[in-house]
Amino acid sequence: MEFFNDTSNLFLCAVSAAALDLCVLVLILIAYNEKKHAQQHWNMISGCMELSAPDASYPLNCDEILIGRHASADIRLPDLSVSRYHAILTVSDGIWTITDIGSKSGIFVNGTLVTERVLMENDVINLGNKRLVFRRRRNNNVH
Amino acid sequence: MYINVFLYTISCIFVLLSHSAMLLNVYFNGSSESTANVIILAVAVLGLDFAYFIIMLMFKQRTYAIDFLLILILNMSVIFQSCFGGVHLSVKHYITCIVSLVACKLGYMICKNHKWLQMQKKYIYLAIGILILAILTLTGSRSMWINIGSISIQPSEFIKPLFVLACATSVAEQQKKHKFLWFYVVYENFALYGLTAVICLLQWWCSDLGSLPTFVGIFICGFFLRICYPKAKFSKKTLISAGVILLIVALIALRFAPDYVQERLHADIWNDKTGNGYQQSHALIAIADGGWFGKGPGNGSLCNIFAHENDIVFATISEEWGLLFALMVILAILIMIAVPLINPPRSYYHSTMSAGVCAYFIMQMTLNIFGSCNMIPFTGVTIPLISAGGSSMATSGFMVGMLIAAQSPEFKNPDGRQYRNAPVRRRTA
Repeated sequence: MEFFNDTSNLFLCAVSAAALDLCVLVLILIAYNEKKHAQQHWNMISGCMELSAPDASYPLNCDEILIGRHASADIRLPDLSVSRYHAILTVSDGIWTITDIGSKSGIFVNGTLVTERVLMENDVINLGNKRLVFRRRRNNNVH
Repeated sequence: MYINVFLYTISCIFVLLSHSAMLLNVYFNGSSESTANVIILAVAVLGLDFAYFIIMLMFKQRTYAIDFLLILILNMSVIFQSCFGGVHLSVKHYITCIVSLVACKLGYMICKNHKWLQMQKKYIYLAIGILILAILTLTGSRSMWINIGSISIQPSEFIKPLFVLACATSVAEQQKKHKFLWFYVVYENFALYGLTAVICLLQWWCSDLGSLPTFVGIFICGFFLRICYPKAKFSKKTLISAGVILLIVALIALRFAPDYVQERLHADIWNDKTGNGYQQSHALIAIADGGWFGKGPGNGSLCNIFAHENDIVFATISEEWGLLFALMVILAILIMIAVPLINPPRSYYHSTMSAGVCAYFIMQMTLNIFGSCNMIPFTGVTIPLISAGGSSMATSGFMVGMLIAAQSPEFKNPDGRQYRNAPVRRRTA
């Protein structure tokens, strides 16, 4: 009888543990599935935009993108005419805005000096000697 | 709003299955004197499951994985707590679980738009100030508890999520530097350093150093994210310097710690079973007694020891449900806080907030579990979402809400500012 009780205890414990494991595993898989939808939502918010330089393109994957010469900037432009922390790009309601954060050479959008400006597709941004184009991402699969 | 009906239903079924398996274990192996107790427990647990599944849909979230993990863990804790000392629904803990769920949704609503939250930073600091004043004036002589009739509230618990928000605000404002004499400084940093110092002094003054490592853990997490702002590029020099300073501060603190801390640091629990080692020695014996598969729900003996349902809850669960199951519960909590690694937040504010919440959960669990097992000095902090205690449950629920907010954020301008030159048509190149 004691053996039966022990076996029953062991069996029920194993079933509880297995059910918990399975549930956690399923929820991990669901979290991975939700990641895809979060990416789609971000694409909708950001409009799949990127900043393009002649030699590189920078996808906008975060709601605040710091542009500057410093190694820790999100978009690093290694040129002495660019300040260490030059400008910041922010997105709100699907609209990207560029803001000067105390740069020495300023920001020019389509040739006009600005301190803050909402960006439109194909706007040309000059930071020091560097020229960037705000455009739609060519490859939408980039994350 | 995103919802995949198939995956949502599958998640609901697996959560229900998991709780049902536990309830079956309680029914067949538990120490219930009447079947009615088990039925009441089952109705309460499964009823809360169903209610939350429906309520979840009212919040227009894009992710639900953390919500499902939360209800899974909370109802597991209801089952655990209802089995300590015999099977009967623990009404008090059940109510605190509901409070925790409400706090979770509140946390989500408050934190989902980080731009709005950043504008409210003065209220965050104000709330912390009010809580500190409440501790100093209402808790009696150098204590952390406010007693109102039969209810005890621990205001220091509510400082924890606010402190996480203060850290996140600090990181998000790193680029706003101001010239002071010859230096460029960030005012937010000074505010955060001052706040941390005040909280540490308060803990010291109240002789409750148990929560201090949690605050320090959150601060260190925020600090490292701040010096690595914005792209987590670690500067080795800064990291090493910060590590050395922290080590020196820790050594000095240990050297000059009060007598009761020194006693716990050097306690020999087996030679002092009736004194400083009372809870730990019983906890270790109980874990060994329970073995891998436990004695069965409600059949443990640790329920006669003081604070079995919060400070040494890991040992109590291990004794009744087995070490294997207790470790898996901890794993479930770890997976819940690791979800931001699967789906990283899209803003620095939410990233720092998630990191702070993870630091809180990990520190609390580490202090509780390793403290129970005599691997570190016993501090008497709770395991979030598992231990009994209203303040702790509400705080943990709010923190989980912050994690959910980072997963389903809103990127809206909080001041409703309309851009005059908003794009109405594309410019041609």
